[in-house]
Amino acid sequence: MPSVGHTSTGEDLDVATFVVRDVMEGPETRWDHGRLLIDLSAVEVLSAGSSPGVLRVQAEIVRPGQPVRLVNVLDAVDPVVKKNAPQTTFPGALGELAVAGAGVSNRLDGVAVVSLADFRATHDVEALACSPDGEGVIDMAGPGAYLSPWSATVNLALTFECDPDASLADADRSIRAITLRAARDLAAATVEAMPVAVESFALHPADDSLPAVCVILQVAAEGPLSDTFFYGRSVEGILPTLIDPREVLDGALTSGQYDWAGSRNPTAFYQRSVLLRELLDRHGRDLRFAGVILALGYLPSAREKERSALLAARLAKRIGAEAAVLTTFQTGNSHTDTVLTAQACARLGVATVVLFAETDAGLTDWAPETDCVVSTGNEEELVPEWRPARVLGGEMTYSGRSAMVAGRLPVAEYLGAVSQMGDMRLRAVTW
Amino acid sequence: MKVVHYLNQFFAGRGAEGAAGLAPERIAGAVGPGRGLGLDVAVTLVCGDDFFGEHETEALPQLLAWLEEEAADVLVCGPSFGSGRYGYACGTLAREAVRRGIPAVCGMHPESPGVPAAAGAAYVVPTDERVTGMRDALPRMAALARKLGARALIGAPDAEGYLPRGLRHNVLDERPAAVRAVDLVLAKLAGTVTSEAAAPPERIPPPPPIADPAGVRLALVTESGLVPAGNPDRLESNRARTWLEYPLQGVTAFAPGAYESAHGGYDVRAANADPNRLVPLDAVRALESEGRIGGLHETLYTTTGNSTPVAVAAGFGAEIAQRLHDAAVQAVILTGT
Repeated sequence: MPSVGHTSTGEDLDVATFVVRDVMEGPETRWDHGRLLIDLSAVEVLSAGSSPGVLRVQAEIVRPGQPVRLVNVLDAVDPVVKKNAPQTTFPGALGELAVAGAGVSNRLDGVAVVSLADFRATHDVEALACSPDGEGVIDMAGPGAYLSPWSATVNLALTFECDPDASLADADRSIRAITLRAARDLAAATVEAMPVAVESFALHPADDSLPAVCVILQVAAEGPLSDTFFYGRSVEGILPTLIDPREVLDGALTSGQYDWAGSRNPTAFYQRSVLLRELLDRHGRDLRFAGVILALGYLPSAREKERSALLAARLAKRIGAEAAVLTTFQTGNSHTDTVLTAQACARLGVATVVLFAETDAGLTDWAPETDCVVSTGNEEELVPEWRPARVLGGEMTYSGRSAMVAGRLPVAEYLGAVSQMGDMRLRAVTW
Repeated sequence: MKVVHYLNQFFAGRGAEGAAGLAPERIAGAVGPGRGLGLDVAVTLVCGDDFFGEHETEALPQLLAWLEEEAADVLVCGPSFGSGRYGYACGTLAREAVRRGIPAVCGMHPESPGVPAAAGAAYVVPTDERVTGMRDALPRMAALARKLGARALIGAPDAEGYLPRGLRHNVLDERPAAVRAVDLVLAKLAGTVTSEAAAPPERIPPPPPIADPAGVRLALVTESGLVPAGNPDRLESNRARTWLEYPLQGVTAFAPGAYESAHGGYDVRAANADPNRLVPLDAVRALESEGRIGGLHETLYTTTGNSTPVAVAAGFGAEIAQRLHDAAVQAVILTGT
């Protein structure tokens, strides 16, 4: 039986923010009035324990403006800890099971933990059914820096070396655990400190005359390296499920999905979701936030796509939503899941807006019911070439190019660039 | 910077309608409107409007050959104003020049058939419908030509004075996409529906149904990434650079283990368990033996449709369609994933 560590009776989620002014290596990980000291060796020994599939991890601090390119980027995580029950941070995925989204969470602002692994270096990825598509890049300077939120944060970059004799699924499980652990340990340095600000996320009953808006948050699971986790378990096979937006902000959803970085949802996008924060902020002012429906995209057959769309729309209707914001997970295939969901909502009288990344040719899928589209940018547009002085995460990009001299990379390869959860400001216009 | 200018017979001073049948000519230096560009025009290419329209397969290669021979840095076409045939020639030549790596700018009325002919490849500076717009058009065309010739970055259509080319270009909005989404859906509830992206412009209408399937030769084409096991020709899992063909003689069905999907854009586990669900060879063989189709074209055409730029995919389509046409195929089952 898993023990239930979290005993807070408070309903609201209080997020205490600690703005990081400076990050330095130190003899111990410590919070010192805006300065974060990190014991890099303590992070590196995390792989020494029970971490099947990982031979070693190298920890390094990289800063905005440095001529450094990170390649083979897997995930980005905001450092966070449950102040009164640190052992329940990232419940299920790292910590003990507890309901997320209530109580006090301490988070660091301005610093992120970024995981990198060159699977090609140790495994014949092309022969494996599970292998990531596309590249995962963060440029700390240069013309592509504006495309990723993690070009503007100080990053604790963890470069993992996988065991060629182990499966990538095992390696990935260890990589995710170590990355979440490192993120928790950084934030844990603040448990005794005073935050600069505390945001309270409440969902009190709101005026019935305000329009009720829900989010249908698309996630996907296609097996190892292409997975999303809810309380530590793969979402594969789930029915559309009603969850509290504060659970998402508080670490209930974590990423294990490493395809196209531009349209990927790294864990940090769940933790800091601009969309969920916006709706929580406007709840009771110009709308009622009706809830978040977790629904699958990338489903493998027309029937499964239609079934999930139908059930998600039905759930939206049942919770009283008059409108739904439809997010999309990755591009191509999953756009059809979103279009079908918009059509199913329209049949039930639920108005929708969809968030879509575009290609050079515009939208991948479209129907008369997707008449309200937010463009999150053209993922095929090429970024001017930039040659870093140093590369972290491997010598080659996933697609086999030299990471130093990779040429012009498409927007689709920059982590988070065209987030279809709406976290970014990028948008395509006709030129 | 080497500038090449294209004119029709009239503006090159060769005569009006009577000279419209003029074959392509190459003249050293600037001619007519070319002198008003304020650019150092090295060579002027000329062709009669009728000749271009009626003998495009002859005129276009000749003009392009000269253009490449001259190693032009930039091609300037017209301005052709409201003229249909002249505009078409300008737009077509400019488009093909760009596809060969030579930037090009045309000047024409926005409703000229030259605008679609330029196909968003070449820049088109909008002009008046009539020749009286010459003085206004030339400096605007020249300004863009200078930038293009210098390989400078070209800004927004409004700022640079050209017609939108249909590219989806990235800009930074003031607000995150999520905030815009909430505003748009609230506006939609209040009755105002707006969208930041339009419906795809090209919807290809399906061909009419086949009257008598028992007489047709049927082919199988797919973008599902179906390949022989082990992917011997290394078909890409995404951004495919090519399509492949595999013989079907003697293959009655795609046996699991003998065929698989190389596609990286969907979960291939179910497909690999029965590759016939990607391309229905088993069902088509049954129809063939029952005499319900005339016969199967014994070649499978396959590629990966995953993050493939539309222009590349359209090229694959044209090449495969030509093969099918040459093989007298009358119907295709085209499966997508």
